Amino acid sequence: TLRLICTTTAVQRKNAGASGPEKYTEAFIKKQIEEFNLGKRHLANMMGEDPETFTQEDIDRAIAYLFPSGLFDKQARPLMKHPTEVFPEQRKIQWGEDGRPFHFLFYTGKQSYYSLMHETYEKLLNVQKHQDELIAQDLPLQKEKRNLAGSRWLTKIELEEMLVEKMSDDDYSRFIRLLEKLVALPCADLEEKYIQKFSKEVPAQLQKVLIEPLQYDERGVAFSTGEGRRKTASATAVVYDNGTGKITVNGIDILHYFPVLQDREQLLFPFQFLGRIGKHDMVCTVSGGGRSAQAGAIRLASAKALRSFVTEKEVEFMRQAGLLTVDPRVKERKKPGQEGPRRKFTWKKR
Amino acid sequence: GAGLQPRFPCPCRIMPVRWSRYNPSYLEPEVKTEAYQKPLEELTEEEKEQMELKAVRPIKAAPPTLSSSVFSDPMISKFTNMMMKSGNKVLARSLMSQTLEAIKRKQLEKYHKAPENEKETIECNPYVIFHQALKNCQPIIGLSSITRGGKTYQVPVPLTDNRKRFLAMKWMITECRENKHRRTMMPEKLSQELLLAFNNEGPIIKKKHVLHKMAESNRAYAHFRWW
Repeated sequence: TLRLICTTTAVQRKNAGASGPEKYTEAFIKKQIEEFNLGKRHLANMMGEDPETFTQEDIDRAIAYLFPSGLFDKQARPLMKHPTEVFPEQRKIQWGEDGRPFHFLFYTGKQSYYSLMHETYEKLLNVQKHQDELIAQDLPLQKEKRNLAGSRWLTKIELEEMLVEKMSDDDYSRFIRLLEKLVALPCADLEEKYIQKFSKEVPAQLQKVLIEPLQYDERGVAFSTGEGRRKTASATAVVYDNGTGKITVNGIDILHYFPVLQDREQLLFPFQFLGRIGKHDMVCTVSGGGRSAQAGAIRLASAKALRSFVTEKEVEFMRQAGLLTVDPRVKERKKPGQEGPRRKFTWKKR
Repeated sequence: GAGLQPRFPCPCRIMPVRWSRYNPSYLEPEVKTEAYQKPLEELTEEEKEQMELKAVRPIKAAPPTLSSSVFSDPMISKFTNMMMKSGNKVLARSLMSQTLEAIKRKQLEKYHKAPENEKETIECNPYVIFHQALKNCQPIIGLSSITRGGKTYQVPVPLTDNRKRFLAMKWMITECRENKHRRTMMPEKLSQELLLAFNNEGPIIKKKHVLHKMAESNRAYAHFRWW
């Protein structure tokens, strides 16, 4: 028999809720864990490190050193992880020796899902009862606001992992709607602990972008540079202070470079938004893409350059107006068996 | 990177067929400068919550048709896109501006010919006329075909705001493209239709009334609707 230390992707694929005969018995998993720990100590000895303080990162580094692999797919390379991460969680047999299932909702087919809905609805009824009691006693209903912005619900995959059972998208959305209904009630604080099981903290700190300070050229005029990309076009813009509102692209005036009104509107958009149309001069260089992509690239570059001239609040307003986000939309690739990205070949009956 | 994984725009509420390159947590951008100049006291509860949410979530990039200038109007851009053929936005945009110019000219002619007391009632702003005309063309209920027991019935169904706007614009464009003389230019045809719709006359308003009558006559099948 082979000692299974490293395993491949076929085993790694998470198959939460794979009903059917148990693929791995508990004894097998226990043996795997023992072998993993033993192998870890051997590896630590081999690398000359202390076996007691050998973390997972050290294991990964050691394996990458001992078995260098040039394969592109990271999941195809040799790996040594704790068996609980490698072998998917699976359910124990749901029925006893006499064939009778343990859970009362077993015959619905989705016992964990329905029991979860049942529990959540019970909590909802509880909260409503409490609310009715408070109204009957004429006490004010507390309305503590939950921090919506800082938390999100568990995704479908996370929920599936939690319940070790597959669910459909409809089921998931139904559950989320029920949770939202529960949260929307004024006295939902009773069940705060239960709700927290299904919500996750979202790191509220969006990456703080460093705004570069203004630079000064020989004449003493303040200027700032910015770069932008849109769909294969890349642009660099230099925005000068104390200007007349002249904009030059690749040495050509914008009236000649962009004959279409829409593109010129896009170039002036950041300036118009901040109310600084006649106050700045701009010199830009752009290459690649088409006419609309170049306009979009210059818009992004000028918005980034204008950040140095403007207060933090206005930078936040620019971000909320969508001026500082890179547009991720690119041309979709053509797929084999189809004529274009979405268009299929003409269907012929014979 | 994002790869080609479909990301549903809403958190699994409705199952959309389309997908977008943005993560579902991205919010729509707000372009108008007035929204950012309101002092804190005037905001309602909902707006305060919206502001807090916007401060934390990432925002999508503004599309090239949207701008904070006074001349950019989302309804006009939508109409221009619907008029566009094979991606020729330049032509569609010029047709749109010629239409608005034609409306203004016609209204000014009427204004100068009208007697003093009627001069105030004549609306000269082509944007106002455009919006009002499209609003007058919007149907209130629509019909949807539902098959029950082999037979297909036309069931009256409420329409969403987007659908109403879309139908009004679609009818306007098809009416101008098909039912008019071949040699007349599109701006002329469109301006004529828009002015008629502004006064609640014309073939598009008639079409809307016909749809309403059909829906009224099929009231009996309204219970076939399950949504």
